[in-house]
Amino acid sequence: MKDDLTIEEVRRMAAEIGLTRLSDEHLQQLLRATTMARARRAALPIATLAPADEPAHVFRPDGGQ
Amino acid sequence: MTDLAWLTVAEAAELLRAKRLSPVEYTKALIARIERHDGKLNAFLRFTPEIALEDARRAEAEIARGGWRGPLHGVPYGLKDIIDYTGLPTTGHSKILEDNIAVADAHVTAKLKAAGGVFMGKLSTHEFAIGGPSFDLPWPPARNPWNRDHFCGGSSSGSGAATAAGFLPVAIGSDTGGSVRNPASMCGVVGIKPTYGLVSRRGVFPLSFSLDHIGPLTRTARDSALMLDLIAGHDPLDPGSSESTARSSAELDRGVKGLRVGVIRHFYTRDMEADPEVTAGIDAAAKKLADLGAKVSEIETAPLGEYIACNRTIMTSEAFAIHEKWLRDRPQDYGALARGRLMAGAFVRAADYVNATRLRRKMADAFHALFSGIDVAVTASSMDPPCRIDDPKAVEYTYLRQARAPFNLTGGPALSVPVGFTEAGLPLAMQIVGKPFSEALIYRVANAHERATEWVNRHPSLA
Repeated sequence: MKDDLTIEEVRRMAAEIGLTRLSDEHLQQLLRATTMARARRAALPIATLAPADEPAHVFRPDGGQ
Repeated sequence: MTDLAWLTVAEAAELLRAKRLSPVEYTKALIARIERHDGKLNAFLRFTPEIALEDARRAEAEIARGGWRGPLHGVPYGLKDIIDYTGLPTTGHSKILEDNIAVADAHVTAKLKAAGGVFMGKLSTHEFAIGGPSFDLPWPPARNPWNRDHFCGGSSSGSGAATAAGFLPVAIGSDTGGSVRNPASMCGVVGIKPTYGLVSRRGVFPLSFSLDHIGPLTRTARDSALMLDLIAGHDPLDPGSSESTARSSAELDRGVKGLRVGVIRHFYTRDMEADPEVTAGIDAAAKKLADLGAKVSEIETAPLGEYIACNRTIMTSEAFAIHEKWLRDRPQDYGALARGRLMAGAFVRAADYVNATRLRRKMADAFHALFSGIDVAVTASSMDPPCRIDDPKAVEYTYLRQARAPFNLTGGPALSVPVGFTEAGLPLAMQIVGKPFSEALIYRVANAHERATEWVNRHPSLA
């Protein structure tokens, strides 16, 4: 994943998911927020996960009974 | 008689049951206090004195007939304005939901009504429990009763301010990454994030389905335990609802002799460096517990940053899913803080969200395994004392500096309690944390500490 996003890249990404009404100020917020989210992603110790490590939310079709 | 503003729920209950205090007299006294002072604090978003007096008169009549319902009967309470009360707007403190009228009570509201509580109104919150303190919303943000120029914490900001200011003896808030415990810490009151699922989330506007918890803010640990017993309980219509029937107030007066207390010091000395006054406050509290007979030692868990990254990845993804349509259609109607914080979930990949939930299970299991060697854990809540509310840089800086989010992730109970005051007179706090469904034990520790220190007996002057 590319490290430095630009405002134009964020504008394009936002448009792809339907966020087409964001002002320039909103897009700046989105850029900052996305940069921070990527930093958080980098802080997740994903390398410690084994293939069989299950998610915390497990679907039970019996409603947990 | 104690000034009515500072009665605890337990004290009021005793007086009301004995008919030594009238619910109407009590309610009128608090109404007058709110009318006199809340213009400076903005704890209430929607103050409802007419509903309060109706509830108080009903309670008075019932108690007079011998029909006392329990500790909340005739006692005033407030609800964070993401919690539904039939017929009133639930606005989320947002233009988006300005005119959103609740058609049914939240589960917690129904319990409080059935208990005979006196509803005083809807309390200020950060926008949608995430964006605050904000000055660009239809209603102003709540302020800290200890110093109105300072932040009172959030997102259950009005709940913290109202309780600390003596407007209410109890308020209900929600906590997704710390939002009951943050205002409790900043306002010098007691606030709990209970075990996930202990209190139903039904009728509470969600921020993050798997991280949202509902909890009371009170001025004492005893009141917190009493209130949690009242609002806890299985709700078959909340898919996350627990079936636990454990009573939180069962062990309040048992003391701490022999209890094993593990201090997670690295959270606030190595992983993040807390303000020296915060560290000193927690150290003093740990020493007090040792003096009372607890066995206090340091313990290690995963780095704070990993817990926070995991919490935020899950929270922002779930929150963005809830708000996506509005962010698409009317982004300009959000305040800037909420909009920015919600959009953080826009581009979280599915694999990142799934991996965060896989890490969540591992981290929760590893954390709960620590309780084979300890009974409760203690750590920081906020890393800093309350900052100035008009300093956006300070607000954003201190917003990220906290050790509350780990316990939304792991799901066990975490209680914020006062541990003193700064030189400038602002509240300091710590958290007492337990394994799932060990609320009774953490309240036992909190009550012992409270009785030995009496920080809860100090009150702000609102003059």
